[in-house]
Amino acid sequence: MTVLAQAARDVPLPPWWGVGLSLLLVAAAAVVIVRERLGLGRDLVVAVVRAAVQLIAVGALLRVLFERAGLPGSLGWVAGMVLLGGRTAGGRARGLPHAVRTATVALLCAVTATLGLLVGSGVIEDRPQVVVPVGGMIVSASMQGVQIVLTRLRDEVQSARALVEARLALGLPGHRSFAPHVRLALRSALAPAIDQTKIVGLIALPGAMTGLIIAGVPPLDAIRYQIVVMYMWLGAASISGLVAARLTTRELFDEAHRLRPLRSS
Amino acid sequence: MAARALFRLDDVTTTRGHGDDHVHPLSGVTAVVPEGGITVVVGPSGSGKTTLLRLLNRMEEPTGGTVLLDEQPLRSLDVLELRRRVGLLLQVPTPFPGSVLDNLRVGRPGVTEAEAGELLGRVGLPDGFAARDALSLSGGEAQRVCLARALAVGPRVLLLDEPTSALDPDATRAVEGAVRRLVADGLTAVWVCHDQLQARRLADHVIVVHSGEVADQGPADRVFSAPAGERARAFIASAT
Repeated sequence: MTVLAQAARDVPLPPWWGVGLSLLLVAAAAVVIVRERLGLGRDLVVAVVRAAVQLIAVGALLRVLFERAGLPGSLGWVAGMVLLGGRTAGGRARGLPHAVRTATVALLCAVTATLGLLVGSGVIEDRPQVVVPVGGMIVSASMQGVQIVLTRLRDEVQSARALVEARLALGLPGHRSFAPHVRLALRSALAPAIDQTKIVGLIALPGAMTGLIIAGVPPLDAIRYQIVVMYMWLGAASISGLVAARLTTRELFDEAHRLRPLRSS
Repeated sequence: MAARALFRLDDVTTTRGHGDDHVHPLSGVTAVVPEGGITVVVGPSGSGKTTLLRLLNRMEEPTGGTVLLDEQPLRSLDVLELRRRVGLLLQVPTPFPGSVLDNLRVGRPGVTEAEAGELLGRVGLPDGFAARDALSLSGGEAQRVCLARALAVGPRVLLLDEPTSALDPDATRAVEGAVRRLVADGLTAVWVCHDQLQARRLADHVIVVHSGEVADQGPADRVFSAPAGERARAFIASAT
């Protein structure tokens, strides 16, 4: 990545007063909220302050991480993202047994497989500056997929319990009785990733590519990174979705192949 | 009717919920389902009829007592094999997406078109019905397809959980007729029903369930003409 290293020295960054000036754009949002009486004023203030504080804190932490913690520290950071992502994705699927644990394991599998393959094969470097943001993209992509899979599976259990029990009553084991519903959930989770991959670059320039172009990397070099990112996204969403679906199916049926009732939330 | 017991429930209790919130849908139930004929399980709504039925193919598990099939505890049998021997038809028709033939192949993937025709014939559906889209059928047709689907795996017992409660009178008669023919061919049926007129039409043997307990049981003629016990008498009297 010599092109990247060279470009990074000359990145055209906005000055701090320019960052302050961008608050004018928040003022536009505030005007809309007040004029239309949306009742979101407090949320807007909290969001603006939180975004600034969080990003400053993350920037400072990443600086320490990049300078001192090396690869082990980067992997620790990614592990933290996995835990937080698992909690967020699993928390959306209230009622499903062990949803947070399932989501966390699914994210861990996706990160291990995807990041492991990319770093292990030398497609991306093992520097913290690469591992942390790429790991973040994998966790983020996987989290969306896992969240869709889990909520869809929960909805299927609620709405299609009779169909599942009808298959169980024919002597089918739990996982086969639930397989059509797992397929629906996986389709729902993968469709956005596939659609996004289809239209990448046509509607909006994707994040990794945008960052590289801003940093001065020629577009035809920047797209190489973006192609890897998009394929990685597909892989991560598929692996995490499948693991989440399999683990959930195991939790949903008892040893006598009965569909457990959902916990009331 | 043969007197041999096919199912025997021995002091069976079921529990739903945990801690202080738990309830017992069935409590200390002892009952017999004889082999052959139609055993109708009757009782008021919420009395535990469906729970009793679902114990017979282990869709429910007792928390006390034992359920036996041919004098063997159900827990000692392979549960998937048990469910293939003891079919279940649910209250609401549950056709799966795809053709009727696809539906018949869910439990037994090797069903041929000729076998499909024969299975559909046993439930009173015409030749050529196998190609129909299962999701576009009327309620009565769909319920009979579900019945044929249950037959495809070769059960010796059919459990029917108010299978006609969502059907119109014509469809109800069709389903009743199909089950009668199957029973005449040697199957045993256990039919949960809250409609006493239907119970009188169908039953060879009756189990009256009330408040989670068996209020009476025996041959249909005797139970309907001279119910034993206060709760059974009150329930039978409520329909006359």
